[in-house]
Amino acid sequence: MKRLTPIVVLLLSMLLVTGCWDRREVNDMAIVIAMALDKEPGGLYRLSVQVPLVSSLGSTSGGGGGTSGDKAYYVDSAVGKTIREANDIIQSRMSRELYYSHHRVIVLGEQLAREGMSDALDIIARFPENRLTVYLVMTRGKGIELLNVQPQFERFSGEAMRELLKMEALPVSLKDVAQMLTTPGVDAFLPVIAPVPSHPKGQSREVQIMGLALFHDDKLIHVAQSDSIKGVRWFQRYFTPFSAVLSLGGDNRMTVEFLRGKADITPVLKDGRVHFDIKVYASGIVMENMTGINLEHVNNIKKIEEMLKKEVKTSVEKTLQIMQKYRTDTIGLGIVLARYFPREWRETYRERWYEELPKITYTIRSKVVIEEIGQTTRNITKVDSENE
Amino acid sequence: MQELLETMENSSLIQLEGIPLFPDLDDNVEVLKNLFSDCSDFVIREFRLKHSARAIAVFVDGLIDTAQVNEALKSLMIMEGGDDNIGVIEEALLPVSQIDRVDDYKKLLQAVLSGDTGILVDGNKEALTLGIRGAEIRSVNEPEGEAVVRGAREGFIENIRTNTSMLRRKMRTPRLKMRSLVVGRETNTNVVVAYLQGISDAQVVEEVSSRISKIEIDAVLESGYIEELIQDNIYSPFPQIMYTERPDTVAASLLGGRVAIFIDGTPMVLIAPATFWMMMQASEDYFERFQMTTLLRWLRFLFLIIALLTPALYVAITTYHQQMLPTTLLLSVAAARESIPFPAIVEALIMEVAFEALREAGIRLPKTVGQAVSILGALVVGQAAVQAGIVSAPMVIVVSLTGIASFTIPHFNAAISIRMLRFPLMIAASILGIYGILVGVLLILGHMANLRSFGVPYLSPVAPMSAGDLKDVLVRVPWAFMVKRPRLLAIPNAHRMDPAYAKQVQQRGGQAGTTSRGNSDEEGNA
Repeated sequence: MKRLTPIVVLLLSMLLVTGCWDRREVNDMAIVIAMALDKEPGGLYRLSVQVPLVSSLGSTSGGGGGTSGDKAYYVDSAVGKTIREANDIIQSRMSRELYYSHHRVIVLGEQLAREGMSDALDIIARFPENRLTVYLVMTRGKGIELLNVQPQFERFSGEAMRELLKMEALPVSLKDVAQMLTTPGVDAFLPVIAPVPSHPKGQSREVQIMGLALFHDDKLIHVAQSDSIKGVRWFQRYFTPFSAVLSLGGDNRMTVEFLRGKADITPVLKDGRVHFDIKVYASGIVMENMTGINLEHVNNIKKIEEMLKKEVKTSVEKTLQIMQKYRTDTIGLGIVLARYFPREWRETYRERWYEELPKITYTIRSKVVIEEIGQTTRNITKVDSENE
Repeated sequence: MQELLETMENSSLIQLEGIPLFPDLDDNVEVLKNLFSDCSDFVIREFRLKHSARAIAVFVDGLIDTAQVNEALKSLMIMEGGDDNIGVIEEALLPVSQIDRVDDYKKLLQAVLSGDTGILVDGNKEALTLGIRGAEIRSVNEPEGEAVVRGAREGFIENIRTNTSMLRRKMRTPRLKMRSLVVGRETNTNVVVAYLQGISDAQVVEEVSSRISKIEIDAVLESGYIEELIQDNIYSPFPQIMYTERPDTVAASLLGGRVAIFIDGTPMVLIAPATFWMMMQASEDYFERFQMTTLLRWLRFLFLIIALLTPALYVAITTYHQQMLPTTLLLSVAAARESIPFPAIVEALIMEVAFEALREAGIRLPKTVGQAVSILGALVVGQAAVQAGIVSAPMVIVVSLTGIASFTIPHFNAAISIRMLRFPLMIAASILGIYGILVGVLLILGHMANLRSFGVPYLSPVAPMSAGDLKDVLVRVPWAFMVKRPRLLAIPNAHRMDPAYAKQVQQRGGQAGTTSRGNSDEEGNA
């Protein structure tokens, strides 16, 4: 008995030190796969959640589950003065506890993005079930629209968006956004995804990456088309491949895919003016050649590399022009400046970087290497016209 | 005399100690008849020696080799010589190799009840016991509990003499000592404590012998009686003494400085002191190549953890830590559990208990019926329960995985302690989640670290760490590097081999090939 008492005391005290007792069975949960935040008139927030209907996922009786046409998910949404209030309204008509640990993406509606996203994002960082690694995306119009899309490949649009982002776009997680918003000298951007009808129309609606939303502080100021903002990719920590089409006059076109890329930025301070020296290194492979140019010749390769250099340069220029026009520092020129000239940054530029941004000058130099020309050197279906 | 007879009425063998044999044969016959009244298998054969001294032969029918005893009696009855002095009979008349002279009833009857034949001659204060035993014994078979692919196919049997002889055949050395003890008031079971002089720790040998000799119990029917009576901690779920039915395992343990306890009537030989790591080793570990052995040991440890923790982790993760699962896996689990009416812990308990019942049923039943049990188990409990939506498919996977995992532990008694312990862990997991599992595992580890087997820490050589012995715990190094014996005990004779030898082979043989350069012909003659 004497030996038992301390053990019992120890065991009982273990019950007290555990924090919250959160036992909950899987069949009492509504697992939120994706959520959307929108701003409604009158300063109200709309929260929409996408929840899989687990029973129609099918598994227990094998094969039976999910008859065609039945959706495997359910989208509900509510309006509240705060997001949590909206959540409580949804909860009050849902027999299962909303469970946020597994949401893959948060969709921000355009209106919310324009009015500032910081307030809405607070709950996501504050509420422990949420994850900072969740991907943020923006959509034109209402965020709930994206949740209602039923893509063909995935069971839920949330899942589809996540996979799409990881593969095709610049994925931005909540953690990244928080970092971009709190660091002076860099501005946030979010990928923009929109629901589009598949072709032929009406079969299904898919999600498509449309471009990049550029923010000034936490407010949306411009939605750039994918094409015009490709230059951003050179400046990311991890390069996301993309391809460029070269026009060699007429119908002579060639597609080159950039596989690796990296940019070096060197700021120069001259007479109180900020100048950036941008060097882009890229390497790519020829994916398609409709020109008949013989790529076996070093000279031809050189020629194409020259053209690609120009292509790279334009892509960066276009991006910088957009940045200057809308006064948003998407690629983080400010940070580079701060690292090279910390004192000047602190004293002069930090406070009025947005005024300075349109005035900066830059030179862009690029170096492109074609590493591969593919399996064939010439089009195998064309008669060899060259004299050999 | 009459008084003596009355006191002897109900006495066991121990109480007969010190009661001498009577010189008068008739007295002895009366005593024996009185003692063995109603013993139909006890035979008193009266006869006369050649020159008409009276004598009796006493034996238990069925324990002796009748033909051989007849031969022996023949030499007394018919052959010449003729002397009624027991000393002369022993030395000159009886052509029996195992013969012993006894002077009191306890010794005489102990021998006779073990299968000897007792010869009492009128006018002698001593009797002879002839060791001509012939009881039916099972032949030596492959040990079913510890089958190997590579290694000896002999296992111990129920007869202790056969067992000790099997060990002696492995170790032909005078250093192999076999201390004989008798335990059990009614069974008078022979127990042999075997050890290697100069390699075992003398203190441990003394401790084992003294613990066994202090046992006061009416019967010892199996090694388990002795094991439970001499182990250090009665309440521990872990076995502190290992058992084996393989002579080579016993021999290897003795060479490692341990002590073996043979018990008559069982093929199981106890080995003490034991550590936890011994329970995770199989005899074949030392016969197969070391790489494979090392990998197999890792596999066993992995599956040890799986056997102990999977059901608890399943319960903890599905009821507390859903965020730990990948989303798609959680959705699959959720879909599978959608129609299950029970909480995860109840589901887990149902399945685990059902599985234990299936296993228990399978062991007890004859082989032919056993198959029916496995079919019932697989079909009814497995498939039907899932289809009926009473248990979920992932739970069935967890239970089967646990079952398979517990079979990978080489020693059955270690496996059952793991089987037992997963239930409290499951309950801890259902109350406190992974935190509960951690608390449970820490309690178990603390208990194991606290445990001792004859003075040896149960987790040694890992805790307390003795680096030199780690070569045979998580890995098994090649024999060439196992130069020293384990240091768990104060072993006087620590070196197993000449460490230079392995090096020599590597240098002279193999690639250099100098050993084969001799001009020997095909038969190997130089």
